[in-house]
This record gives sequence, C-alpha cells and structure tokens, in this order.
Amino acid sequence: MRKYSQIILFVAFLLPSCMNEPIVEPNTNMGNFESLWRIIDTKYCYLDYKKINWDSIHTAYKAKVTEKADATAFFDLMGTMLGELKDGHVNLYSDFDRTRYWKWYTDYPSNFNLDLIRSARYLGDNYKIANGLSYQKIDKGRVGYIYLGSFSYGFNDANIVSAMTYFKDCKGLIIDVRDNSGGSLDYSKQLASCFFKEDKVTGYIKHKIGNGHTDFSKALEVKTPANKNIQYQRPVVVLTNRMSYSATNDFVNRMKQAPNALIVGDKTGGGGGLPLSSEIPNGWMLRFSSSPMYDSNMQEIEWGIDPDVLVSLSPFDEGNGIDTIIERAIKLIK
Amino acid sequence: MKKYIIYILSILSSYATAQTTNEQKYLLTSASNTLGYSIIDFIDPYLSPLTYSGSGIGYDFQSQRFLSVENTRISKFQKLSLLAGKAFNPPHTASMSFFGTNYGWGVRYHLKPMSKLRVQLGGLWDIDFMFKYLARNVNNPVNVDLGTNLNAFGSATYDILLFRKEMKLKLDMKSPVLGCMFVPYSGASYYEMFGLGNLDNIVHFSSLHNKRGLDANLMLEIPLRRSLWRVGLGYETMKWSANDLVFKRNNLSIKVASVFDFAIFAGRKKRAPSNFISPNE
Repeated sequence: MRKYSQIILFVAFLLPSCMNEPIVEPNTNMGNFESLWRIIDTKYCYLDYKKINWDSIHTAYKAKVTEKADATAFFDLMGTMLGELKDGHVNLYSDFDRTRYWKWYTDYPSNFNLDLIRSARYLGDNYKIANGLSYQKIDKGRVGYIYLGSFSYGFNDANIVSAMTYFKDCKGLIIDVRDNSGGSLDYSKQLASCFFKEDKVTGYIKHKIGNGHTDFSKALEVKTPANKNIQYQRPVVVLTNRMSYSATNDFVNRMKQAPNALIVGDKTGGGGGLPLSSEIPNGWMLRFSSSPMYDSNMQEIEWGIDPDVLVSLSPFDEGNGIDTIIERAIKLIK
Repeated sequence: MKKYIIYILSILSSYATAQTTNEQKYLLTSASNTLGYSIIDFIDPYLSPLTYSGSGIGYDFQSQRFLSVENTRISKFQKLSLLAGKAFNPPHTASMSFFGTNYGWGVRYHLKPMSKLRVQLGGLWDIDFMFKYLARNVNNPVNVDLGTNLNAFGSATYDILLFRKEMKLKLDMKSPVLGCMFVPYSGASYYEMFGLGNLDNIVHFSSLHNKRGLDANLMLEIPLRRSLWRVGLGYETMKWSANDLVFKRNNLSIKVASVFDFAIFAGRKKRAPSNFISPNE
C-alpha cells in the first residue's frame, strides 16, 4: 500500500511539473522591460544574423529603467532599445504612440516623387483604377504603366486581366512599387504569378521552434505558381526604391526569378522577416520579425534586394517633370 | 390486447426507468437544454503571454437513453455545447473574441449503491473546438483550440427532500485521458501553415502528461408544476502543452436547465396514439 502511495505521489508531483506556465512579469516598468526583452530574446529571428548582443543590451538598458519614469519616458526608452534591432518590422504600440525604426529608408534618397507620377506625362488625370491598381498607357501608348502603392489594397485576377487587356498593344509593362511599404503576401504572390510560365521556387521561409537564437525549423520552399488565367509574356520592369518594403520586398524577390522581368531603381528597403505580435504586462503590443525569409539561393533578404539596373532619380530631371527611373525603364522595354 | 402507452412530456423525471407492469415497454430519451453565463479565463501564448479574462453565454443540449428495454444498466448519451463571448487582457487594452463548440458521445454504466444514491460511470469521446480572435495581432490574430479526447466520466445523483419537494442533487465530472490536439509553434504563422502548407508538428498526441483538466457540474434538479428544472454551477479547468507552449482555460458558469423526456413516434411501425397531435403534418 505504501509503495502505491509513493507512486501516486510521484506521479502527482511529476505531472504538474511538465506544464509550467510562462513567467508573467508584474506590471511595473522593470517588469515590462523584462517582459519586452524576453519576447525579443526568445522570439525575434535576426539576433544572430545581425550580430546583436542582446544580453549586453539587457545590461545597458536595465540600468536606465526606473519606476519613477512616466509612461512616455519609459515608452521612449523601450523604443530606443528596440531601435538597436534596426528593423522596420519592430514596433511597440501604446495608446499614445508607436515606436518605429525608419532609417531603412530615411537614410537614403527617396527616388520617388508622387507629383511626377500624377503628372500628364505618366498617370495624368484620366488613369484607370482597378481596386489597388492604378494604370495608364505612357510613352504615347507604347508602354503600360501600373502604380501599386500598397499590397494592403486588394485586387483580383479580373482587375489584372483588365489592365493587361488595356495594355494589349503595348511593347511592355512597368510595375511601379516604389514607396510601397508592403501589405499582404497573398497579393504579392498573386501579382507575381502573372509573369511565370510554370511554378517556380522563388524563396524559402523558416520559423522559430525554440527559445534559442538559432532554433529554427527546416527551410520551407516558397513557390510562385504560374497564374492559370493570366500569362504576361512581354518584357516587364519593376521599379523599386528604399521604401519598397516587407510584402513588396517579397514581390521583388519573386519577380527577380520571372523570365522576362527586370528590377530597376534603387535597392529595396528589406523587411524579410514575417512579423508576429505579442504584448507586455501593461498591454502595449509588440510587433517583431519572427520568420526569416530567403531568396532562391537561401540568402537573407532582410536588408533589401539589389536591382538589376541601379538608377537614381535625377534632381535635374525631376525639376523638368521627368522621372528618370521610369524613363530608363521605357528605354529598357524598347 | 395491446395498447400504446407512451407519453412524452416534460413532467417526467430525467431518468428513463423501466416500467414494472406487464405492458409493452418503450424507451424514453431524457434530454435537457441548458443556458449558462460563464466567467472565463484564457492563457493562449500563441496570441499573448497574458491571461485574458471575460464572460460569455453558453448553451448545452444533452440527451441520454438506455441501450435497450432489457438492459437498464447501460445508457448512451450525447452532448453538444456552444460558448461565445469576449475576454480582455489585464490592462484592458485589447480584447479577444471567442467561440467554442464541443460535441461528445459516450456510454455510462448505472449503479445504485444506496437507496437514495445513483452513480453512473463511463467514457466519453468528444471533439473540442474553440476559435479565438485577437484583432490587433499581425499575422497571428487567430488561434484555434482543436482536439479530440477520450474522457473518463462519472456522475452521482442523490435524492433529497427540500421544501417538501423531492429534489435531486447531481454531480457530474469528466476528465480527458488521451487524444490528440492541434498546437502550432509560437513562431509559425497561419500564412506558413495554411498558405504554404507547412503542417509539420502541429498535431500532437495528448494524454495526462500534456493535457489535464476537469469539467464538473453541480446541479439541483427541481420539479416545478409540470416541468423539471436544474440550476447549479459548472466549472471547467483545462491545461495543455505542446511545442513549449502552455495553454489554460478556466470557466466558471451559472447554469439553468430545462429537462424533458421524449419518445420518437415518427417513422415507427407503432404509431402514436390518436390523441397525440403532431405539428409535423
């Protein structure tokens, strides 16, 4: 009987210990700091790739955390700490503000002027809008031009077919994704699929499977399927700048592999990590890169994708109402 | 001469006891509709490390029937539960909507160890589903608790006399023993799982080592005029773990149930007596 009691006691002890709930820090400045630090430490995907010593950052910033700091001062301090990650996908959201890291494009020339795009030389006043696609024939009707300002605005195959039909007499197509800071990966894949004759592996993705900085799953192939309804076979040029980010970075990565496509403009801003969300005890939400994405050669795309043809917007051209990058694309199509 | 003697109605007790006459015996199905108000806590580390607390409205339908008129020791029963509500994080800066359903089917063995005490022991297979939506999350706004379990089940009913009325105090409990469940990695987005088809290691065997819980109800059954009602409390606590994530759900609810017995005439050879008027014309 005693033996059985011991077994029962052992099992009773063992079973709960298998399922320890995660530590939830108290809702104090120090507790929120520790919680924020730990989320990044265990879930952020680029600590090793970016050679960030996150333990040193813990030491440095812990010394600055005081309970006397008000919410704004504490928020700003946490924003500065998160800025060490140099990642546009990392944001802390409070009721009164959002921390952000924008140097991925503010440190570089914009290479984009929306007024130029809207001028009569390009989109003009009578351009067509099909959901998220704004399109017009340019260069005396010889080239089709689509401006896509965000991958958050939906579009479907019928919208793309409409634009392609409108461009049926054009020699080629320009897709301008400058200043497009991302949105849905599904739309990125959908648009890219129109330029592939067959399914192709255009990248890879991993996700965290543990708390260690290198605990990743096996790389999973990311395919760009050939669109069954639309096959655009003529030359296509994708225009990029440093503000082409996140889902747009993914679109450019796919288009790099498209048979008749060229990437023209500036390097993209990057944003190769698929972001997820979490929160800290005071209810502030944290967004962070969680799943690293790679190109077809298993190279990171977090810092951006180089164009095939590097072109900058000339201030002289800009002053004369000319978009240097679009003009270069027109020449490449001709 | 045979006569039909089955009569349905809400005045009967919830147990289908055998008749002691020589007349033809018919099985009744005892059923209940239950409405409940729940106070509920969640920990879902896929969505947030914080405990979300809130409330919801629940509905249960249960039915029970002996296997045959000759064997009134074993009954089969089924249960369908629905629960919907909203929960908030501790600082009330975010809300989580949830909708859950559970369907179970089981068999019970009936014992009567004392004159006023009846005990039922058995097993229950169930499918549990709960959809949780945390709108402000990016790429992980949704998680689903999905699992199927074999549960151990037990209940006890004790007859008591209160306010000169014969009432029943009923306690039932179930606990998962083994099954399987869906649990993603905390770093795996639904885009990767269902957009790209990466379903590695999201289905897990569950048993007492990684899933434990208790679902208990303490109800008082009260006859009121020609109807039978139950009022009481329900308490569910469930904890499960996989992929280094520990999930938790606590649910305390106040419940009111209407109990009725019925028999099915439609489609049977022996039609219902002519004085039963069916709306199914």
